[in-house]
Amino acid sequence: MITFFWTAAALFAALLVQTVLSLVLPGYARLFDPFLLVLVYCGLTGGASRAMLAGAAAGWVQDVHFGGPVLGLSGLTKVLVGFGVGAGSTRFHLAEPGARVLVLVLATAMDALIFNWLAAVFDVSAYALSPGGLLVRAVTNAGIGILVFETIDRRLRQPARRDL
Amino acid sequence: VIGESTVARVLDTRKSRFLLAGLVLGHLVIISQQVEGGSGARLLEQTVFAFLSPFQRLAGGAVAGVSGTWRGYVDLRRVHAESQDLQERVRVLEMQLQETQEQVREAERLREIAGVKPLLPLDTVVARVIATDGLPWFRNITIDRGQMDGVALNAPVISAHGVVGRVIAVGPQAARVQILLDKSSGVGVRIERSRITGVVTGRAGYGDAAGGDLDLMYVPVLADVVVGDVVVTSGLDRVHPRGMMVGRVRSVKSGSGLFKEILVAPSARFESLEEVMVVRVPARDQRLTRALRPEPSPKPR
Repeated sequence: MITFFWTAAALFAALLVQTVLSLVLPGYARLFDPFLLVLVYCGLTGGASRAMLAGAAAGWVQDVHFGGPVLGLSGLTKVLVGFGVGAGSTRFHLAEPGARVLVLVLATAMDALIFNWLAAVFDVSAYALSPGGLLVRAVTNAGIGILVFETIDRRLRQPARRDL
Repeated sequence: VIGESTVARVLDTRKSRFLLAGLVLGHLVIISQQVEGGSGARLLEQTVFAFLSPFQRLAGGAVAGVSGTWRGYVDLRRVHAESQDLQERVRVLEMQLQETQEQVREAERLREIAGVKPLLPLDTVVARVIATDGLPWFRNITIDRGQMDGVALNAPVISAHGVVGRVIAVGPQAARVQILLDKSSGVGVRIERSRITGVVTGRAGYGDAAGGDLDLMYVPVLADVVVGDVVVTSGLDRVHPRGMMVGRVRSVKSGSGLFKEILVAPSARFESLEEVMVVRVPARDQRLTRALRPEPSPKPR
């Protein structure tokens, strides 16, 4: 229940961050995806099931608030990305910052590729990212993501240290 | 010997796979329903939009408040000089207004003689932009007016400079607008000079590109279109009122097929949209229907 609450709060924060960024830096907000950070963190810490559920919720919020004429494309994309991240986190040791950066970069690339593929399959007109744009998006997500992840982890570790 | 953790991992993997299959299947059904023309997800969309859009309004309001205060402080020094300039402009505009009023009176007299009903001004509501595109794949904005303000689905959205787009989702207090730059948008237009009709749609190149032009499609290769021509709405799409500014022709090329390849520079400033106007009742080609419907008893002069 606590996990559910924090995931919902993180998605809500992602919506506010994306909204404010789109107003403060119009045009550049599309190069950062705070919803992807939520699902990647859920995948790294809670496994595939949690990442998929968080991904579905994140994708639907994106579809409803920033999406196109067909709802569910971002939802399905983020379910698949969540499964990938969650499955990877159960097979590999992904607690180090370097590994997490790699996961964030790969998740961003997967997100873009799967979305454009699904849009083509369902005949939905959508723009694709340029290679440079995809790189900037991946680097932005990885840079901000690793800072956020490390901050959260440090906060979570603090009570445990005090107990010792 | 199978350890307890191994069993848990197998169960978890199996659970994950079932969950993945269920989620993928559910999404495929919902997406397919919409692609086929149904509205399978609209209730869910309205619920999520209605629940979360008030918070977006708050965030948008906070950003507008902070930026407004900052701008007010920074602009304070320039106010005096601008005030003098504006007073001068007001004097010029007052003179122009008098000329325009005379022309309006003349037009009214001529309309009365011709027996054509007068054009009513569009019923619009001013809305503030509370979010712009958050995804690179689409070009949308969110505005702070919804069903409670009379905003309806497919309502045309305009700005002081030209057509902005149409409403594609409505909540009680907010609405999502698909702007002209979106790849799946489409507006029926006309070249003002030569009266050639066509359809414009978004063409921003890549999703991360700033700004962007519009593609003017279905204009025959022999049509009279030159660079600089003004493009206005035709009203033939039954969404946008006729005669509204869309943009100017930026380039014209003879296409390889039956149609020309025309790029249009939009007149609306999409990168700096702050306020827009939503037309409350979608116009059904108002000018045409009114022009074809003469007054029952024209007043004799």
